[in-house]
Amino acid sequence: MTTAPLPTETAPAPASRPRNFTRWLSTTDHKDIGMMYLALGALFFLIGGVEVLMMRLQLARPGNTLLQATTYNEFFTLHGTTMIFLAVMPILLGFSNYLLPLQIGAKDMAFPRLNAFGFWLTAFGGVILYLSLLEGPPDAGWFAYAPLSERPFSSSLGTDFWAAALLMMGMGTTLTALNIIITTVRYRAVGMGLWKMPLFSWMVFVNSFIIAFALPSLSAALIMLEVDRALGGRFFQGGGSPVLWQHYFWLFGHPEVYIMVLPAWGIISEVIPVFSRKPIFGYKFVAGSTLAIAVLSFAVYAHHMFAVGFARPVNLAFAASTMLIAIPTGIKVTNWVATLWKGSIRLTVPMLYAIAFIVQFTFGGITGVSFAVLPIDWQLTDSYYVVAHFHYVLMGGTLFALLSGLHFYFPKMTGRMLSEGFGKIAFWMITLGFNGVFLVQHALGMMGMPRRVYTYPDLPGWGALNLFSTVSAFVLALGLVLTLINIVISWRLGRIAGDNPWGAWTLEWATTSPPPKGNFVRLPPVKSSRPLWDLAHPEDPDHQRPPRHDQQGHIRPEERNHER
Amino acid sequence: MSDNPASIPPIPRVSQALDVSRLPLPPGHMDASPRSNGFWGMAVFLVTDTVIFLLLLVANIYLRRYSQGPAQGALDPGTTVWFSLGLWASSGALVLADVFRKQAKLSGLLYLLTAALGLVFLYGQAQEYLHLNAQGATVDADLFFTGFYTLTGLHGLHVAFGALALLVTGALRFGGHLGRGREGFTAGLGLYWHFVDAVWVALFLLLYVWGGP
Ligand code: HEM
Ligand SMILES: [Cu+2]
Repeated sequence: MTTAPLPTETAPAPASRPRNFTRWLSTTDHKDIGMMYLALGALFFLIGGVEVLMMRLQLARPGNTLLQATTYNEFFTLHGTTMIFLAVMPILLGFSNYLLPLQIGAKDMAFPRLNAFGFWLTAFGGVILYLSLLEGPPDAGWFAYAPLSERPFSSSLGTDFWAAALLMMGMGTTLTALNIIITTVRYRAVGMGLWKMPLFSWMVFVNSFIIAFALPSLSAALIMLEVDRALGGRFFQGGGSPVLWQHYFWLFGHPEVYIMVLPAWGIISEVIPVFSRKPIFGYKFVAGSTLAIAVLSFAVYAHHMFAVGFARPVNLAFAASTMLIAIPTGIKVTNWVATLWKGSIRLTVPMLYAIAFIVQFTFGGITGVSFAVLPIDWQLTDSYYVVAHFHYVLMGGTLFALLSGLHFYFPKMTGRMLSEGFGKIAFWMITLGFNGVFLVQHALGMMGMPRRVYTYPDLPGWGALNLFSTVSAFVLALGLVLTLINIVISWRLGRIAGDNPWGAWTLEWATTSPPPKGNFVRLPPVKSSRPLWDLAHPEDPDHQRPPRHDQQGHIRPEERNHER
Repeated sequence: MSDNPASIPPIPRVSQALDVSRLPLPPGHMDASPRSNGFWGMAVFLVTDTVIFLLLLVANIYLRRYSQGPAQGALDPGTTVWFSLGLWASSGALVLADVFRKQAKLSGLLYLLTAALGLVFLYGQAQEYLHLNAQGATVDADLFFTGFYTLTGLHGLHVAFGALALLVTGALRFGGHLGRGREGFTAGLGLYWHFVDAVWVALFLLLYVWGGP
C-alpha cells in the first residue's frame, strides 16, 4: 500500500441510546463499564489536580504560609493516592474494559456482573477515601511508611479510611484482572492465537498477571497495618519491624508502576503503526519483552529501599536487576522508533501525544537507571530528583499515552471525532506545561531540595525554579481543562466518525462506532494480527507472506522493498 | 464491513434489553476446556488469596523469633485438632456432594452438611479465642500472637463466607432452584472450600505444631 486513504464518512449518525440514568447503575456491558471507569478517572483526576495546584501555590516562593505543614501533608497524601488509585488506574482499567473484548472479537467479558462489581468497589473506595475528610484526612503519604502511619503518629481515623479504601479498590482491581485473564484465554475469536492478539490486549493480558500477584501484597500489608492500628497489633511497632512494611509495600509498589505503564505502552503500540502506515516493527519482541518485564518488575522492588541500609550483596543484586529491566523497556522504545522510521507519518493529535510519550518516557527511564547506581541514589533519594523521575514516567509516559488513546478511541466510543484544532492547542499547552513543571525539578533535586516538605529556605536559585514550576503547572492544568472542553463539545457537535476513521487494522474497527451490544454483527476471519488489512488486501495478506528472513537470518532482497 | 466474506455466519443482532452474558459465544471461540468459567475464575482468585496468606505467614515466621511475650505454648493443638477434623471432614462431604451433583442426583443435603461442618469449626475457633484471651494471649500481647490472630482470623472469615455460600447453595439445590446454568458457580465454590481446608492444614502445622525458627 503506497498512499494511505484517509477516512471517508459514510456511516449514519450514531444511534442515540436511551437516556436513562438507572441504566448506568445496573449495566453489565463492558463498554458502559469502560466508560464509567473513564469518567470516574477523569473526575478524580480533576480533584487530584486541584490538590496539587494548591501544593504548587504553597511552594511558589520560599517561606510561604498559604498551607500549614500538616495540611500540606494531607494534600500530598490525598494527591498521590488519588492520582494512582483513582485517576490512572481507573482510566487504564476503563480502556482495558472497553477495548479488550472488542480487540479479541468477544461479545463481552467472561463475567459481566463481576465486572460491574469491580467498578463499584473502586468507586466506593473513592468515596470512602474522601469521606475521611470528615475525620481528618490521611497524612502519612501514599506509601504510608510505618511507624509514621501507626496510631501514635497518625492519630486521626484518616489512615484507617485510607486503608479501607485501598483494600476495596485493590479487591476491585484484582477481580477485574481475573476477568481479563479468563476472557482472554477463553473468548478470543477463531484463529486468533495468543501471538496474533493486538498489542494492547497482549499487554493488558500480561498486566493482569502482574496485578494478580502484586495487589495481594498490598492487601496483606494493609491488613497488617489495620491489625496494628485497630487492635493494637505489633507487626510494625512495639517490637515489630518497620522495614517489613517497606518490603511488602514495595513488593506491591514497584510492580504497580508497571501495572500503570503497561496498558499505556499497549496504547502506544496501537497508535504508532496506524499513524505511520506500517505494521509494528518486531511484533514478537514488543509483545514478548512484556513477559520479561512482568517477572523483573517483582525482582527489582527493593530499589526503593536502598537508603534502608541492606547488606552490600543485597543492594548490588537489586541494583543489577534494576539495570536489567531497562533492557526489555529499551527494546520496546527501539521498536516504536523503528516503526516510525520511513513510515508515512500523519501528525494527528493521537500521534503527537505518542511521540511526546516516547521522548518523555525515555527521559524518565534514563533517570530511573541513574538511581540504580547506588551512590547516586543515596545522594538523590527523597529529593525532588525522584519527584521529577516518576512524574516523567508516570505523567510524561502514562498520562500522555492515555491522552493519545483518548483521542484515538474517542471516535470508536462516541461515534464522533474530537476537534483537531482544539486538540493541538491543548497538546502544546500540556506538553510545554508538563516539561516546564518537572524538568527544573531535576535541578532542584540535585541542589538538595528534599521532597515532602511544605516549605524551603530562600537559597540561591530555589525560589526562581520553584516559581517557574508553579507557573508551568497552571499552563498544564489549562491544557487539560481545554481537553475536557473539547470532549464535551465534540461529543455533541463533533464530525461523524464512521466505523474506521483512522484506517486501522485491528478488530475493534470492524464494528460500528459506538459498537452495538454484543459488539459484532459478524466477525471477519482472523488469520494474522491485522485481520482488516487481510480483508482489504486479499492479494497481499499478512498470513501469506513468506518469512522476511532467509535461512541465514538475512532479510531477503525482495522483502527489503516490500510494500506494506 | 461490506467486504466481509459471506461465508462467515452472522452473529445475531441483540436487542438492547437483552443481558449480553446470556448470549451464545461468538461462533467457534477458542475455548476447548471442559471446565466452566466459574471454576477457572475461582482458581485465579485463589492464587491471589494464596499470596496474601503466604505473605502473612512469612511475616509471622520472621517476627516470632523476636517474640518475648506469652509463648506459643499457650496454644493447645490437642483440642484444636478436634474441631479441625470437622473442617477436614467437610471436604469429604463436599466431594460426595459434587459426585452426586454431576450425576444429577439430589445433592442439596450434602451441601448443607458441608456448611454445618464448617460452622462446627467456627464454633471451636471462637471457643479457642475466648480461652486464649482469658490467659492473656491477646493480639497486642505478643509478636507471635499478632500474626496468629491475623492468620487464623482471616482464615476464619474465609470459612464463614464459604459456609454462608454453601448454605445458600444447599438450600437452593434442595429446593431445586439452582438450575443447570449455575453449575459453574457451584464448581467454583467447591474449589474455594477445598482451598480453605488446605490452607488450614498449612496453618495448623506451621502455627500449632512447628516450634518456629
Ligand atoms: C527503566 C525503568 C525504570 C527504572 C530503572 C526505575 C528506577 C527507579 C528507582 C531506582 C526508584 C527509587 C528512587 C528512590 O526513591 O531513591 C524509582 C522511583 C519511582 N519510580 Fe521508577 N524506574 C523505572 C520506571 C518507572 C516507571 C515506568 C514508573 C511509573 C509508571 C516509575 C515510577 C516511579 C515512582 C512512582 C517512584 C517513586 C516512588 C516513591 O518513592 O513514592 N518508574 N524508580
Ligand atoms: Cu521501582
